[in-house]
Amino acid sequence: MVSFFKQKRQGKQQDRKKEEEKQSKTTDYIESSLSDNMEIVKRKTGNSPDIIFRTVKISQNPEINTTIVYVQGLIDNPSVTDFLIESMMKNPHLSEKILPQKALDIISEDVVSLGGVETVNDWEKLFLMLLSGDSIIFVDGINKALVASTKGGDRRSIQEPSTHLTVRGSREGFTESIETNIAMLRRIINTPDLWIESMKIGTVTKTDVSIMYINGIAKKEIIEEIKKRLQRINIDSILESGYIEQLIEDQVMTPFPTMNHTERPDMVAGNLLEGRIAVFVNGTPFVLLAPALFVQFFQSVEDYYNRFDIASATRFLRIIVFIISIVGPALYVAATTFHQEMIPTKLLVIVAAQRETVPLPAVIEALLMEITFEILREASLRMPKAVGGTMSIVGALVIGQAAVQAGIVSPAMVIIVSITAIASFATPSYSIAISARLVRFAFIICAGVIGFYGMILAFIVLVVHLCSLRSFGVPYMSPLAPLNPQGLGDTFFRRPMWAFKERPKLISSKGNLKREGENQRPLPPESRGMKTSDGRKGDGNES
Amino acid sequence: MEKAKISGYQLFVLIFLFEMGSALLVPLAGEAKQGAWLVILIATIGGILLFFVYYGLFRYYPNQILTEFIRSILGNFFGKIVAFLYILYFMYLAARVLRDFGETLLTFAYPHVPLFFANAAFMLVVIYTVRKGVEVLARTGELFFVLENVLFMTFILLIIVSGMIHMNNLKPVLEINAVEMGKMAFTKTIFFPFGELIVFLMIFPYLNEPQRLKKIAIAGLATSGIFLSFTMAMNIAVLGVDLTLRSQYPLLTLIQSIEVAGFLERLDVYFLLKLMIGGFIKITVFTYVAVMGTANVFNVKQSSRLAYPVGIVILLVSIVIASSYSEHIHEGLGAVPMFIHLPFQVIIPLLLLIIAFFKNRKKTSKHQRHNTDLKGGVDK
Amino acid sequence: MEMNHKKLVLLLMLIGTTFTTGCWDKTELNEMSIVSAVGIDKNKDGKLVGTFQIINPVNVAGSLQGGGGTNPPISIYRATGDNVLQLDSIASAKISRDMYFAHANLVVIGEDVAKDIGINSILDAFERSPEFRATTRLVIARGVKAKDLVETLTAIDKVSAEKVIKTIESTEKQQGGSISINLQEVIKNLVSSGKEPLISGFTVRGDTGKENKMENTQSSSIAANPNAVGIGVFKDGKLIDWLDGKQAVGTMWVLDRIVNTNVTIDWGGKKGAVTYQVLRQKTNIKPRMKNGKPKMYITVRAEGDIREVNVPLDLASPHELIDIEKELAKNLKKEMEEAIAIAQNNKSDVFGFGELIHESHPEYWKKHEKDWDDVTFPKLETEVKVETFIRRSGLRNKPFLSDIKKGDQ
Repeated sequence: MVSFFKQKRQGKQQDRKKEEEKQSKTTDYIESSLSDNMEIVKRKTGNSPDIIFRTVKISQNPEINTTIVYVQGLIDNPSVTDFLIESMMKNPHLSEKILPQKALDIISEDVVSLGGVETVNDWEKLFLMLLSGDSIIFVDGINKALVASTKGGDRRSIQEPSTHLTVRGSREGFTESIETNIAMLRRIINTPDLWIESMKIGTVTKTDVSIMYINGIAKKEIIEEIKKRLQRINIDSILESGYIEQLIEDQVMTPFPTMNHTERPDMVAGNLLEGRIAVFVNGTPFVLLAPALFVQFFQSVEDYYNRFDIASATRFLRIIVFIISIVGPALYVAATTFHQEMIPTKLLVIVAAQRETVPLPAVIEALLMEITFEILREASLRMPKAVGGTMSIVGALVIGQAAVQAGIVSPAMVIIVSITAIASFATPSYSIAISARLVRFAFIICAGVIGFYGMILAFIVLVVHLCSLRSFGVPYMSPLAPLNPQGLGDTFFRRPMWAFKERPKLISSKGNLKREGENQRPLPPESRGMKTSDGRKGDGNES
Repeated sequence: MEKAKISGYQLFVLIFLFEMGSALLVPLAGEAKQGAWLVILIATIGGILLFFVYYGLFRYYPNQILTEFIRSILGNFFGKIVAFLYILYFMYLAARVLRDFGETLLTFAYPHVPLFFANAAFMLVVIYTVRKGVEVLARTGELFFVLENVLFMTFILLIIVSGMIHMNNLKPVLEINAVEMGKMAFTKTIFFPFGELIVFLMIFPYLNEPQRLKKIAIAGLATSGIFLSFTMAMNIAVLGVDLTLRSQYPLLTLIQSIEVAGFLERLDVYFLLKLMIGGFIKITVFTYVAVMGTANVFNVKQSSRLAYPVGIVILLVSIVIASSYSEHIHEGLGAVPMFIHLPFQVIIPLLLLIIAFFKNRKKTSKHQRHNTDLKGGVDK
Repeated sequence: MEMNHKKLVLLLMLIGTTFTTGCWDKTELNEMSIVSAVGIDKNKDGKLVGTFQIINPVNVAGSLQGGGGTNPPISIYRATGDNVLQLDSIASAKISRDMYFAHANLVVIGEDVAKDIGINSILDAFERSPEFRATTRLVIARGVKAKDLVETLTAIDKVSAEKVIKTIESTEKQQGGSISINLQEVIKNLVSSGKEPLISGFTVRGDTGKENKMENTQSSSIAANPNAVGIGVFKDGKLIDWLDGKQAVGTMWVLDRIVNTNVTIDWGGKKGAVTYQVLRQKTNIKPRMKNGKPKMYITVRAEGDIREVNVPLDLASPHELIDIEKELAKNLKKEMEEAIAIAQNNKSDVFGFGELIHESHPEYWKKHEKDWDDVTFPKLETEVKVETFIRRSGLRNKPFLSDIKKGDQ
């Protein structure tokens, strides 16, 4: 079956290659006449007013017309005005007589005081650079153009991320600019082994996409796999990293995320150091991380900043929270409609008294409340912030008070739904919280139909499904299944920092698992007369 | 065969859960009264001996599943017939366990649900898993193994806390004499559950470290034997012999008698979870094996396509197999061990082993070098 | 595409199965009536009369939340039939909802039923049903009908079944005068040939005409109140005798079921002068064969404190304490020997001596199992040995009585 699919894929890939070849054949080259070139630029961009043409005359006898083309807003204004236009106008080299053929060389070598300057002769590349913020210098009579790197313009500054919040840890979050984002990583990981490979994806948008990994730590096969899958993408646009995520996943039919995403550079750094690969996409602060494992979604970067015992307790709590957010209402439905025997008598009497006036079956009641909650959540997420306050008051009143007083829902159900709702937001990763919400409905229905039998069936299906998932070839449930005792130290509990001897086995490159040296466990000074952990006694000198 | 590999630990887990599966729920070796736990231990040793027969076959054909090497041993025609019989045997066993499971469910929690629907819902889950293949099954097993053990620990803890264990109930151990015990172990308990290990001849070739198979399988058998024996001993220690024997499901009765701190009562759901996990692994293993065997015998390339038809047949068989639970159990204790388990678990494998032995001895003289290579690979 | 079809079929089958299976075993909480206690009586024709105590959740929960209280927290339904299941179905016809037995924590058996019909024929339905709890408590209505006990309205614990269970448990713990025994244990003892069951007795004391009226609970001194009285002795499933007071406590000592109890002894000629509270105790019973006959060796070890002294006594002196300990031991020994004598007289092995012999001397047991209760047990030799230890004597080492007397002189 697998081979069958492979063939299909290969076939498609061949088609795509042919198309690419066709496109490259039709590429046009720059004309030598400046006015022709300007004409082409204007025609191609539909005379858009934000494309600025600035003509500068250089040389004497005869004067040579040069035109600087740039896109307003994309360029860094000071560098264009100060280092490009001004130096073109005032540079003594250009006021002498020069040959048009040499003009480009002179401009690039002596005049333009900017970092990146290169010569381009085909239109496609030229437009790509023009539209990404570079300035183009055409010289009349020459069928080449000079591209000066003037990328800039207004961008959002680096701010605190709005997801994956932490109390302790870096306050920097990614921005929409891929260069800034990559630079942030460079600042954290100072090794030449931090490798980046870039490509443009999207036939129309031509979005910058870069993969980043640490050479020697990341597994070669996984890097190749990701590159292969990225190259396979043939789509008009990439507007967010979510596009990429959905196009390169291992399995489509699953509510669970098989790639992680984050706004936090420190989280990306941590993952890179474990051998994962980051995918940066221009235009979004969310960076993709692959391969992702199930347990990872219950981890927060802060777990590593806090002491291990506290971090482990928190992680344990998150697992409980996740379970509650999946089975909470289902448990209530199953217990009150099928398995009343397991509720302690007193509790049962109280619940029964509350349900006495409720006209709906418990399942319907649960579904109704859950859907109401989802409506509230969705509404408060999308609506303008100013209305938010009204929203929560109305929501609280409608659900909490009026419905109960009217006897439409029982107070116990309101409690259950609220706990579940809070639980679903206590998971650090939003993407797994959404999955939990979806799965919760399945559980409620199963519980409503046949009680715990249905719930356990759903649970078995869930476990089998999770076990069948893979993220870039790595089993999703590892290191739990397949069991990797060494890896267990960073799952539901976190081992102390001094005991992080190895990187995750299935993700990191095989030859390079060692993470820290021997004897990292901190010890009190020997001179204090205390017993050190290896049994030697200090000298007892208190002074 | 799938292109899959499972690790030694995974195989151990599968064997453990498989053996525990439905045996945990019934009064296993109950006739031995206070000595039941001893009979189970004796049967475990018997099961390990039986395993050596299967292991012998595996050593001759380390890369072939049961239905495949039967043909290598008996030739294509007879081989196919015997292999087909084995497939039927596996399907029958799957149907039996499914029936067991469905009946238990109906008896203790859902008296009004038709058996067909209870079984069908479960079979759908099984089919879903079978389609995912043996690797997924093995990984699922790993997770359930942890769950099962956590359940077991909490269970023991609850029993101890509620102070129900009366060791005196286990005396006198030799309520029936040793000869009878041995007889019971080797005519009943060995077939169910230990002899059912024969299905794993369809799974052993997936093991990524065949040289460790012997240790893994023996460890799996021994651990499950000890667990079963322990559970039965605990049943009797808490409930007493009479009640244990009178209960259809002693473990359920045991769980229902737990009463801790005034509110931990009626933990029936706990039993349900245990029942379903055990039943799930066992039925899935049987169904998977039946599917793979069918694919192998009839040369079906996409074996996962067979999951539906085979699953539906098992489902239907499980319904028509008996008209009442008593009939079902009566068959299971009377005719099945003698006329079905004995030939399929003991006689045929022994015959196969003997034939394989002579066949391979002939080969040794002809292709000595080849054979030593093969053996060397296995012995390590 | 083919894959998708299959998934669709799978999904449809799943939905189909689940939705068609639905509703068979489903009971909404407001469609069921929670039975809290079942009473079984006998009428003149020898038929069984069942009394079902059903909780009115709104009234119970209402009073828990501070309101309510004017309506009775329980309703009573009655039915007459030949067996237990018939009672259930006849009573159901009178109630608009399904009777749900999983929370029936109490089964009350009328004294006449226990004496004449026996409990053997009643308990099977309870044990077989998956709904019924194995931990349901059993009591015998002593001197009254089971119906009276089930109908009684009580004040603090709104549901009288709960009140009864709590009373037995506290009586067993505080005094040792009742035995809290559940369905499973009773059946275990009924089945065993080496042990007979004991079941606590319960009665309604006071103005017995009023127990089922709401006004019963509305005064501070409750007119009719359920009370624990004695322990019923069974033989072959039938009630044959009642153990009261010291006999009951003595039996509980032998059974090793004493938790806390007070032992009072006479001292210095005064009756009930010293009260000793048992805090820890352990009873060991060991059968030994003597001349081909078993003899039961019963050793009791009790630890406790002195709680009340009504005669001048120097508790600081260890010699005095040793004397008291000896006296206590003598007292306890007498109590237990009396209890054993009564049991032997009744020819009912309530202590499970037979089981102990079965465990340690299976060959002997096989010979004597059949005539154990009637022949062997009544003649069984026993030896009781009691050790008591006084660990502490409270906050005072002498009673103030001794000082008053000095003043008089």
